[in-house]
Amino acid sequence: MKGEVTLDMVGQRRPRIDGPEKVSGRAVFTDDVRLPGMLHGRILRSRHQHAKILKLDTSKAEALPGVHAVVVAEDAKGIYATPNEPTICGDVTRYIGEELAGVAAIDERTAAEALELIEVEYEVLPSVSTIRQALKDDAPQVDEGFPGNIVSTDFDDWGTTEQSFDEADLIFEDKFVSRPTHNLFAEYHVVVADFSRPEKLDIWTPTQTAYLFQHSFAAAFKLSINQVRIVHLHTGGAFSGRGSVRPHHYIAALLSRKARRPVKIFSSGDEEFLICRTLGDNQYKLRTAVNRDGLVKAIDIEAVLDGGGQGHALGYFGWMVGKCMSWIMDLEGLRFARKVVLTNQRPNFLGHGGMMIGTNAGLMQQLQRIAKTLEIDPIDMLLKNAIEKGHIGMSGETFASCGLKECLEKVRDASGWKDKYGKLPKYHGIGVGMGSMAAGARGAFRHDTSAAMVKVGEDGLVTVFTGIPDMGQGTHTTMAMIAAEVLGITDSEISVVAGDTDITPVDVGAFAQRGTIMTGNAVKNAAEDARAQLAKNAAEWLEVDEAELVFHEGKIFVESDPEKNAPFAKVAHSTLHSKEGRYVMGRGFYTTPVDYGTAAWSFGAQVVEVKVDPDTGLVNVLKVWVAHDCGKAINPLAVEGQIDGQIYSAMSQVLYEECETDEGQYLNPSRLEYKMPRTYEMPDVEYIIVETNDPYGPFGAKEVGEGPIVVGGGAIAAAVADAVGSFLPEIPMTPFKVWREIRKNEYREQRKSA
Amino acid sequence: MAKHIMSLTVNGDKSEFAVDDTDTLLDVIRNQLSLTGTKRGCTTGSCGVCTVNNDRGEAMLSCLTLAREWDGESVTTIEGLEADGQLDAIQAAFVEFGAVQCGFCTPGVIMSAKALLNRYPQPTEEQINEGMAGVLCRCTGHIKVKDAIRNDFRLRHDLANQSKNKSDNDAQEFKPEPGFSYTGKK
Amino acid sequence: MLLPEYNFHKPKTLDECLQVLSKIGDQGQLIAGGTDVVFNMRLRLFQPEHLVSIRSLEELQTIEELPDGALRIGAGCRLEDLSHHQVIQQKYPALKESIDAVASTHIRNLGTLGGNICLQTRCWFTNNSEEWRKGREGCFKTDCEHCHVIQTAHRCHAINNSDTPVALIALDATLTLAKAGETREVPIADFYRCDGEDFCILEPDEMVTAITLPAIQKSSVFLKFTPRRGMDFSLGAIAASANFFNGKVENVRLVLGSISSAPIDLVGPAKILEAEGLDDQAIEKILPLIRGEMGELTNLYGRAGYKKQIARSLVERAIIKLRELQNG
Repeated sequence: MKGEVTLDMVGQRRPRIDGPEKVSGRAVFTDDVRLPGMLHGRILRSRHQHAKILKLDTSKAEALPGVHAVVVAEDAKGIYATPNEPTICGDVTRYIGEELAGVAAIDERTAAEALELIEVEYEVLPSVSTIRQALKDDAPQVDEGFPGNIVSTDFDDWGTTEQSFDEADLIFEDKFVSRPTHNLFAEYHVVVADFSRPEKLDIWTPTQTAYLFQHSFAAAFKLSINQVRIVHLHTGGAFSGRGSVRPHHYIAALLSRKARRPVKIFSSGDEEFLICRTLGDNQYKLRTAVNRDGLVKAIDIEAVLDGGGQGHALGYFGWMVGKCMSWIMDLEGLRFARKVVLTNQRPNFLGHGGMMIGTNAGLMQQLQRIAKTLEIDPIDMLLKNAIEKGHIGMSGETFASCGLKECLEKVRDASGWKDKYGKLPKYHGIGVGMGSMAAGARGAFRHDTSAAMVKVGEDGLVTVFTGIPDMGQGTHTTMAMIAAEVLGITDSEISVVAGDTDITPVDVGAFAQRGTIMTGNAVKNAAEDARAQLAKNAAEWLEVDEAELVFHEGKIFVESDPEKNAPFAKVAHSTLHSKEGRYVMGRGFYTTPVDYGTAAWSFGAQVVEVKVDPDTGLVNVLKVWVAHDCGKAINPLAVEGQIDGQIYSAMSQVLYEECETDEGQYLNPSRLEYKMPRTYEMPDVEYIIVETNDPYGPFGAKEVGEGPIVVGGGAIAAAVADAVGSFLPEIPMTPFKVWREIRKNEYREQRKSA
Repeated sequence: MAKHIMSLTVNGDKSEFAVDDTDTLLDVIRNQLSLTGTKRGCTTGSCGVCTVNNDRGEAMLSCLTLAREWDGESVTTIEGLEADGQLDAIQAAFVEFGAVQCGFCTPGVIMSAKALLNRYPQPTEEQINEGMAGVLCRCTGHIKVKDAIRNDFRLRHDLANQSKNKSDNDAQEFKPEPGFSYTGKK
Repeated sequence: MLLPEYNFHKPKTLDECLQVLSKIGDQGQLIAGGTDVVFNMRLRLFQPEHLVSIRSLEELQTIEELPDGALRIGAGCRLEDLSHHQVIQQKYPALKESIDAVASTHIRNLGTLGGNICLQTRCWFTNNSEEWRKGREGCFKTDCEHCHVIQTAHRCHAINNSDTPVALIALDATLTLAKAGETREVPIADFYRCDGEDFCILEPDEMVTAITLPAIQKSSVFLKFTPRRGMDFSLGAIAASANFFNGKVENVRLVLGSISSAPIDLVGPAKILEAEGLDDQAIEKILPLIRGEMGELTNLYGRAGYKKQIARSLVERAIIKLRELQNG
């Protein structure tokens, strides 16, 4: 086919294809699933941080009328949620909320009554609640297998870190902490499992990855992969929190197998906070070596990560936290040392924005402080250090597109930065942040492949089959738009079938910002395959060479003679009714061309203006200017939607969200006391979409799934620091902590003048 | 637990059924009437996903209301907004302005928006913030939800004109609020 | 979280309701809007044998202007209706502001003024689920002689987190309490006890039936500090009221809420303002006194030192606002 014509569908503001279903209440979520004979499951959880289970007697629970199955550690032998995390704990419980038994009964009330009948005797053991306690010489051991409570120590050193630190004019050092959070998606943790036949396990659950769930369940129950069917329907938000199978999923399957009936488990209120796997209490030390002209030479980060009761996956994913700093600045050296520590807390993993909101909040505050010290405008300093297209990264990454500098310039101009920075009244601040995010992460999962099928019906209506879940990010609409663009039709003529591993082709899932680039390319390839099949028939019909054809506005044209054309639907129809009875089914797949990581990165910059009330410490975010290089905005409406959610979350994590803990217990496990901003708190957002047309992306698109949240975290923190006049060492910067910082500053000033 | 017979009119349909004392409106709507558009969330009044409207068109939390307290009364759920197979203007606005993402909170958010617009057909920013403060939406950060609400009145006006078979020029008079663009009908 | 089981009553008249209450005594729990009661029942903080709904009691849902100009509000009036009531808006602005400060529209569409006055005191221990609480020793509210908020305390230190009582005290409101065959009028300032467990003087078979606001109109303001503006319990709230007469300030009332187990009537500071007016010097003079009025502070939802600061700042702002009203 001749070169691409102008884009019809890609680049349009399109409403979601599942919008009408969702606004009318028709969309089915897992809690809405009701299967014949379905039972309701409940889980007994540990009440102690650290205790030996001396006795666990379920006989009374089993005898309760209406109870159909009870499972204990014995039933779950050999099934692990993470490498060292048993699905049901049988010997020593290491955190409050750890699973001790599961019950399935005819209704929730009976199941709850049964739980109360289970008798547990604990022998309470000494415990550690914080990193500091865990690292003491004589600290109690959380897990015998990990002496000193250290799960892993990892160390990366790229470039010439030590030398650069030696040569640098100045070295800045700050310590900061990010407190535990919760992903807090709208839809609670819920699962329906049907394992009433031994040869097939059906699971309904919200997830970011049906594929990895399928693998985990297959391994756990010694089934072949396709004996497991994962149905994910609509997923009510994920925010990095639905990437792995958790004990409650396995327990539902175990109960269903035992009862030979489907079982639903819906987590309630505070349980939600115990079973999420998100950020813990992480501590960082950040050192930056700079020259007097503002050149950032090297960065050295030491992180101590709170793994909670397990935390084995943290060290592995942690590399990206450091690495992403080298994706924005042309550094000579970067060192990232990290230690994952066990504590008697809920096991921790990653939150919305990975771990990078915390680190970027520290980095951007520090860079703004450095600029202030060196009397350079912070944006000028970022521009001086920002990477450009063609930059070769420290591990040989090649940046084929990069709009970082353009983003910085655009937010600077849009926000009136030059008139504001350094000129605002006291407690009124402005901050800048920048960041980068990898689109895809080969090596982090089993593989990084997405596949897709495109079926062209004889009526010309098209169905896209994809395994990627849509947790709200709008991927299914994006996929419809990509297929529509290739086929020269509109997205309203396309339906997307997803969310059932019995039907849909393989897709690693919706994380690591891989949806648009990996699945998008797979759908594009599949649509092109379908187009080629249609072209064959159209060429016969129009009596031209296939290469002459253009698919556009629902028709197939001969490019040199547009009068010669055939309607798309007619061609689809005639293909099936051709002599050979051809039926058009395109297939495609895609993985990143690099061996490790990805070939495409998004870039972004933001400016944030805040006002702080010095009497109360309350921070009011006035406005956020966002510039994001997503490569190409396939659907600008969805890009804005992604930015909105991430500004919200960045602000929420930097200013509000905190799981307060006391001896391993979460003190505020509710949607009321775990503070997240609501309508009043939301600032104005101005969007600037920067398009750099990445050569690897479908139609040039990269990602907008997690880039803006990291940038936002940095910019908001920098703005608060600017308003307060000093580095804030802890996120979230709640009113109390901001107020405390202001008091400290006042005290320092008084002492200085005295 | 002894069952009690009660009646409830939901979306104009009156039905009678047996409930426990401890059943909430949410339980009845979801389990007895199978209207699963109303979602189960925190069940303690903090997240707003269970919002339905009372007979005065006001937002209320079905998780905090005991079914037997509402014996003989009527409520509207998300399923009751459509009329003649057409989405209500606020539903259409949610689709059009990107106010829907994962969609789990959407029924509750729309019922809250509907209640707000019932009281204030052209709400001020303050009224929008206050009316929608009872719901949580992490996906949209409430930003496009507010867009949809701001534009409901215009959209409603627009649809009314269309149904009166006015010329297309009227539809073009629609001026979106600054910062948003209205793509018109598909 | 499932509700505990109970017997449900829905009397049709106030008399019938009071009869039911006298029969069930302390085994009963009234439910009005349910926003606090259902919540607390889900947490199993309330496990009443009997639940008595007052939704059908029309007697409690009226607002009337009495011949002497006072306003009598039925305890069962919904907060949202009161917020839109013209007389309240015009004559008792602090009440209107305090009503609007309660949670969200969703909650105010259900919640009643009587319910808000009888709002259970709150703390991080009892405001979690029963299963959650079982991980620790009990407390005064859960049949144990212990307070998690102040470990050394001899009483329950849960906080009175309710907004409208703060304004009602400042506005010199009176409550009508009724039980079978008996009613009494109590100034709302005397209604609360500084004990989180037994936080008001209401007897087990007694209920609040009406709130009466005096005819004398005062200038009044209400302020509340929350981390979020919508849908949050306050870290501190204040109501202030006064009459301005010939350049003099009279009948000053300053009431702090959400700091302790009962609203705090700042009587001493109010007297100073009456004597010295609302100028900056007077404010400077009373601010240091506030700490002393606050009693033992908890680390509940905010550190003690921070709460002190919030209280101080609220007092200062309320007086400044009141001064603006004085200066018209």
